[in-house]
Amino acid sequence: MADTASNTTARAAAPDARSLLRRLAPFFGTPLNAALTLILLWLMVRLGSLLVDWAILNAALFPAEPETCAAATGACWSFVIAKSGQILFGIFPPAERWRAGLVCILIIMTLLASARPSAWRPGLAAIWVGMMAIVLWLMGGGFGLVSVPTSSWGGLPVTLILTVFAIGLGFPAAILLALGRRSSLPVVRTLSVLFIETIRGLPLLSLLFVASILLPLFLPESLLPDKFVRALLALTIFAAAYLAEVLRGGLQAIPGGQSEAAEALGLNYWSTQRLIILPQAIRIVIPALTNTIIVMIKNTSLVLVVGLFDLISSGKAALSDPAWPAPSTETFLFIGLIYFALAFSFARFADFLERSGAEKRG
Amino acid sequence: MLQDVRFRAIIVQIALLAGIAALGFMLFTATARNLELRGIPLGFGFLWRPANFQIAETILPYSSSDPNWWAAVVGLSNSLFISVLVILLASVIGLFIGIGRLSSNPLVSGLCRVWVEVARNTPLVVLLIFNYALWWEILPLATEAWKLAPGTHISVRGLSMPALGWSTSTFAPVAFVGVSAVILAGASYAARRRQIETGSRPAYVSAAWLFVAVAAGIFLFAYRDVISLDIPEFRRANFAGGWSLTPELTTILIGLTFYTAGFIGEIVRGGILAVRKGQWEAATALGLSRGQTYRLVVVPLALRSIVPPLNSQYINVVKNSTLAIVVGYQDFMTVVSTMINKTSHAIEGVAIILGVFLAVNLALSALLNAYNRRIAIVER
Repeated sequence: MADTASNTTARAAAPDARSLLRRLAPFFGTPLNAALTLILLWLMVRLGSLLVDWAILNAALFPAEPETCAAATGACWSFVIAKSGQILFGIFPPAERWRAGLVCILIIMTLLASARPSAWRPGLAAIWVGMMAIVLWLMGGGFGLVSVPTSSWGGLPVTLILTVFAIGLGFPAAILLALGRRSSLPVVRTLSVLFIETIRGLPLLSLLFVASILLPLFLPESLLPDKFVRALLALTIFAAAYLAEVLRGGLQAIPGGQSEAAEALGLNYWSTQRLIILPQAIRIVIPALTNTIIVMIKNTSLVLVVGLFDLISSGKAALSDPAWPAPSTETFLFIGLIYFALAFSFARFADFLERSGAEKRG
Repeated sequence: MLQDVRFRAIIVQIALLAGIAALGFMLFTATARNLELRGIPLGFGFLWRPANFQIAETILPYSSSDPNWWAAVVGLSNSLFISVLVILLASVIGLFIGIGRLSSNPLVSGLCRVWVEVARNTPLVVLLIFNYALWWEILPLATEAWKLAPGTHISVRGLSMPALGWSTSTFAPVAFVGVSAVILAGASYAARRRQIETGSRPAYVSAAWLFVAVAAGIFLFAYRDVISLDIPEFRRANFAGGWSLTPELTTILIGLTFYTAGFIGEIVRGGILAVRKGQWEAATALGLSRGQTYRLVVVPLALRSIVPPLNSQYINVVKNSTLAIVVGYQDFMTVVSTMINKTSHAIEGVAIILGVFLAVNLALSALLNAYNRRIAIVER
C-alpha cells in the first residue's frame, strides 16, 4: 500500500520535476555547463555581496555632508549628491546652470529625433542649424542673457556640444569628401583619399595635440580661435574623415543605373547627387551613423588631455575640495554611468531602427 | 568653352590646387613670423642633446643623460609593448567572450553580454581613470600584498611575478628557437608538397614537433646551471627581483584589454553566426566530431569575416595605447610631449608623433592585409 501511495505522489510530481529539469538543462545539461554555472554563481555571490556591502549597506547617503562619509565604511555617495551640480556643469556660473541644463535636454532631444528614418528630410538640416544657434546663445549668453566665456563652460554640456557640433559641422564636409573620393577628377580623388586615410591613420589624441600646440604657431595671433574652438576643430576633422567612410559605404550600395537614369533625365552632377544619390545613400547608412555618434560621444572624453572642462575634469576639480575625503572611485563611477546611459540608449535605439527597417523592407 | 566638360574639369582641379597652395603659403608665412617673434629656431638638432628627464618604466635601457632621440625610441618601445601585450591578451579573451555569447547557458551568455555592453558603451578614458582610482582604493599596502600564485603578489605598489633568468649570453636560446621554427616550417612545407603530389598527408609535422620537444628537453638539461627562476622577495618596503609592473602599466593593460576584448568578442560572435547552418549540417553528415567541425569547417569559414574587422581593431589598439597619458604611464606620446615642453621644438615634436604613428599603422595594416589575402576566398 505504502508503495502505491508513494508511486502516485511521484507520478503527480513528475510533470513539475520534468519542467524544472527542462528549465535547469541549459545551466547543468553538460558537465562543462554545470562547472561553468557553479564557478560563475560562486564568483557572482562573492563579488556581489562585497559590492552590495560597499555600494548600499555601508554607504553614506543623506545628509550630503562630509561627516556622513567619515562615519560610513562603504561608498561615499553623499559626495556625489552634494557635488552633482559641479560635476555635471563644471565651473559654469551656478546661477545660470538652468541654461546649461536646458542645452543638454535640447541636444539629446534633437539627436533622438533625428535618428528616426522618417526625420531624414531636407528640413532636418534647418532644425540642426537652429538647434546649434540656440545652444550657442544659451551657453554663451548675449541678447538678454549674462555672457559666459567658453573657458567657463564645463561638464556634460561640453561633452554634448562637442559631439553635436563635431558631427553637425563634420557631416557636410564628409559628404564632400565621400563624393570626392569617388570623383572622376584625379586631383580631387587623390586629395580626398589622402585626407581621409591620414586622419584615420592617426590617434585622435595626436590631432588634439596639433590643434592645441601647433595651431598657435601656424596662425597669426589675431586669427587664433580659443582653446574650445581649437579642440572642436580637431574633433570635427576627425568626425568628417570617419563619416566620409561611412557615407562611402552607402554610396557604393547605390546601383549605377540610378545616376545613369538621372543623367538621361538631363540632371547635372550636383542635382543628381542632391536629389537622387545622397538621399538613398544616407538612408542606407543611418544605423552606421548612429554608431558614429556613439563613438564621438566617447571620443569627446579625450579633450581633458588638452585642458578642457569636460565631465572628467569637472569631476577631478570637485574631488580637490579639501572639506571632503576624495572618493574618486564613486565619482568616476557616476561619470562612467552618465556616459554609459547616453551611449547605451543610442545603441539600443539604433538596433531598434535597424530591426524595424528590416521588417518594413522584408 | 565653359560648356566643355573636360575643360571645366581641368579648371576646377587647377583652382583647387592653387587654393591649397595659397593656404599652405599663408600658414607658412604666419608660422615663420610666429617663430621669429618667439625666437624659436627650427631644426632637429635637439634630438642629439641629452634628454634630461626621467622615464619611470622602460623596456629598453635608459638614463636621463641619454639623447632625446633615444628617449623617443624608448617611449615608442613602451607603446609597442603595451600594444602587443593587449593584442595578444584581448584576442584570447575576446575569442572566449564571442563563443560565450553564443553559449546555451544563459548565465554564461548573459555575463559575456554585460562585458561587451560595458566595454562598448564606456569611453576608454573613463575606464582607465576609474581603474586607476579603484587600484588605489582596494589594493593593500605592500606589507599585506595579496598572493595570487606562488611568487606572484599584487599590492598598491604594483604587480610582481617570477621571471626566468639566463646568466650567460642569450645567443644559444635565440638560436635554438630560430632553428626549431625553421625545422617546423620546413616539415609543414614538405608535408604540403607531398599532399599535393600523392593526395595523402604524411605525419612530417608531428614528427618535427616530437623532435623539437626532445631537443628542447636536452637543451634545457644541458643549460640547467645558467637558468634560474628569479622569484621576487619582500625587502623593506617593497618586492624586489623578478618581473614587476607598475600600477600605471597594470591599469592600462587591464583597462585596454577589457575594452578591446569586448569589441573582439562581438567580431568573433558575428563571424561564427555568419557561418551558414548548412555547413554545420554537412560537417555532421560527413561524420566529423564537434571539435573537428570547429577546427576544419567553422573556424576557417568564420576567419574570412572575422579578419578584416579584427585588423582595424588591432590598429585601434595601437591608437588607443596613446591614452596611457591619462594615468601617467610614459608611452611614446607622453615622452615626446615632455620633450616638446622642455625644448619648445613643438613643430618638430608633433611632426615626429604624426610621422611615427602613420608609419606604424601603415606597416601594421600592410602586414594584416597580407594575412587577410592568404585566408580570403580564392576565386578561380
